[in-house]
Amino acid sequence: MNRKIFILLAAVLFGLNPAFSQSSQQILIKNGTIVPVKGAQIQKADILIEAGKIIKIGRDLEPSPSAHIIDASGKYVYPGMVALMTAVGVTGYPGAGNDMNESGVSTPQMDPFDAINPEDPCIAVTRLGGVTTVMTVSGTRSPINGKSVLMNLDGRLAQDLVIKRYAAQIFNMGAKSESKYPSTLPGVVSLIEEKLNKAKQYARKKEGAGGEKQGGRENESSRFSIDLEMEALLPVLKGEAPALFITNDEVTIRNALKIIDEFGLKGIIRASRGILKYAEILSEKNIPVIWAGTTGIPGRWEPFDLNYHTAAVLAEKGVLFAFDLGGWGADGRNVRNLPVPASLSVAYGLDEEEAIKALTINPAKIMGVDDKVGSIEEGKTANLVVWSGSPVQMRSRIYHVIINGKIVPMESIQTRLRDQYKKH
Amino acid sequence: MRNRFILFVLAVFFMACLVWPQDLALKGGTVLTVTKGIIENGTVVIRDGMIVGVGQDIPIPAGMRVIDVTGKYVMPGIIDSHSHIALTDINEATDPVTPQIWMREALEPSSDSIKKTLAGGVTMVKTMHGSANVIGGVNVTIKLKYGDRIENMIVKDTRQQIKMALGENPKRLYGSKGRIPSTRMGNAFVMRNAFLKAKEYKEKWDAYEKQKAEGKKGLKPPEKDLKMETLKMVLEKKLGIDCHVYRADEIVWIINFCKEWDIDLLQLSHCIDGYKVPDILADAGVCYGGWIDWWGFKEEAYDGCPYGFEIMHKAGVRIVINSDSADECRYLYLNAAKVLKYNDIPEEEVLKMITLNPAYAVEMEHKAGSIEKGKDGDIAVFDKYPLDSTSKCLMTIIEGKVYFDYSKESITAEGVGYE
Repeated sequence: MNRKIFILLAAVLFGLNPAFSQSSQQILIKNGTIVPVKGAQIQKADILIEAGKIIKIGRDLEPSPSAHIIDASGKYVYPGMVALMTAVGVTGYPGAGNDMNESGVSTPQMDPFDAINPEDPCIAVTRLGGVTTVMTVSGTRSPINGKSVLMNLDGRLAQDLVIKRYAAQIFNMGAKSESKYPSTLPGVVSLIEEKLNKAKQYARKKEGAGGEKQGGRENESSRFSIDLEMEALLPVLKGEAPALFITNDEVTIRNALKIIDEFGLKGIIRASRGILKYAEILSEKNIPVIWAGTTGIPGRWEPFDLNYHTAAVLAEKGVLFAFDLGGWGADGRNVRNLPVPASLSVAYGLDEEEAIKALTINPAKIMGVDDKVGSIEEGKTANLVVWSGSPVQMRSRIYHVIINGKIVPMESIQTRLRDQYKKH
Repeated sequence: MRNRFILFVLAVFFMACLVWPQDLALKGGTVLTVTKGIIENGTVVIRDGMIVGVGQDIPIPAGMRVIDVTGKYVMPGIIDSHSHIALTDINEATDPVTPQIWMREALEPSSDSIKKTLAGGVTMVKTMHGSANVIGGVNVTIKLKYGDRIENMIVKDTRQQIKMALGENPKRLYGSKGRIPSTRMGNAFVMRNAFLKAKEYKEKWDAYEKQKAEGKKGLKPPEKDLKMETLKMVLEKKLGIDCHVYRADEIVWIINFCKEWDIDLLQLSHCIDGYKVPDILADAGVCYGGWIDWWGFKEEAYDGCPYGFEIMHKAGVRIVINSDSADECRYLYLNAAKVLKYNDIPEEEVLKMITLNPAYAVEMEHKAGSIEKGKDGDIAVFDKYPLDSTSKCLMTIIEGKVYFDYSKESITAEGVGYE
């Protein structure tokens, strides 16, 4: 190969690509109080980052001479927060196209990856709030909505962001329609059961036909043909993709548990009320909970702090749970407010350490990526946030955000507006 | 018989306790006066519903009920000057001009939303007509005296305010019906036209009243028109104005309009772009009403900027944090703490954004919004410093009467028995 072209190519691949050049350089976060989430706080310690990963945690680490040094004296280093059930990257500009919620009652094949816009200004706003990983869903309004994708909030192309492509299938047990089938909750249950049964039959037929390599022996009537809707449900039946059930009351929780049992699914319950009654059952069955109800207003006869106090009970009963903002639903653009339910839960009885877990390692565990994100450990992806104090304090400021071992600029549409109008 | 009489007297006494303001002293707390600094180990004395003493070593009159709040924080009751709680109806969305609508007629004094809001230390709200109409209904400012009679809840020492709305909401609603307004120009026309008609109406009535006063006989009064009656009150400054805006151009437009008509604009609600025209807001003396960090939920809210508070504060804008939400109304103190995440503003000024400034926005700054002698005994007691986000409200007191008590109403309290 021509030497010049080779050098040029190398320069393009390694030099000009900003993500790569940043992550190949060592970063040392010096002298901070490290809150690793797994394990105890470490005072005045350093974190060494190289090639996107945390390579060492300890005191007085020796970085390479060219390392970028971040002084975190008097500051706190937390793992980046993980927000589930978001629409980051798919709702775009208001008025410029919202790609959530395809039409139809069963659209499991919808993949939000196909709509991810890495230029969505919400990405920068969200990470400046300390949320470095999100799970973006394809929709929430149908009984069977589609896939969801786990992403680190930095990257030039959509594929640069992805951690896990098919993180979960999103079912909604309360998604009855006004006039069409299913218009009742039992209707929603039977529609989901019917589709899962069909997917089982489809799997058998596919196996009989020799998988995707279509054999030539079958006659026309039994000829196997690919059905993308059914294909999308196969990983759910095999337990490879968790089945995430959106519930909104006791009835829908019970119905979700029934389907999880019946089909032996790897279930996740997203709850906004009525969860306390099921805390023990969920703990026994090891079914994790995405708790979205903290800021929901309790009913007339319920104590005012029922929802503020729920996380404390979930923790006490040993349920694996993560916080979700709720309220705004998946269309919300304020995912950065993830600590709000955590703060309220701490005020009303949850241990702060448990609250931090429910913002970081718990959501990572629930989605099966706790080997990569959610805590500060050697070997893990360097998603780190340097704070002035605890994330559960609304006033805590964020000074540095590192994603995939890259220092992201502390800029967003909002800091640009600030800088523009501050001058007047 | 005698026993029965004693029982009767006791029953009357307890009923009186339920209905009438009480005398009360809060002793030993850290008092955040909001206007006069922080008093450690302070005492607040409330008599006949009014604060009569604040400070260290204040004598507590003999026989007065004393609540020991040692180690706790005592702050003025939180005020939300943009809420929709306790209403059976919000939008009379059938016509772009509905000043004949009075929200007090939709007020539900035993609405559960009042109870849930009290638990967040809130003592007063302005509960409002929605934003469907260019000129909506007349809002009502109430104290959250849960279960009391409507006439006792409505704040009498203040002017009520009419709700107006610019921007996308009236455009969308009436435009979709093929009616005016479907553009911002239409919004402007509808508002101008309504006030032109109101001016004519007022002139007719003024002429009639004048002739009547002069003793002229055989006069026929002009026809009454309830829409015009309300707008006449606006022109006479018997009612103030709260206008829903988002964009900077709308902010400027409504300020100019109100100057032109010499009417009193008191608050701009959801004033998302306020930081772009801080000098104009400050000059007009109108309160910024809005959220700290909502943004992007619709096109006109796209430029929401949490750093904007500092820009406005420096320009002298009176900033009010509103909830516009029955949910967020319960933790406005968390939203106040968020101000400090994005802005360098002194903490007492931040506390004012949920107390004194909204009191000003509802023209109750002489009676509420700070802990001072002569003001109403509206108090929230917190277990920690209220800008510490792990704090919670323990007690909400209105005019000396305890309306919320954490120790009795929490799920963790004995006897609630919910778990």
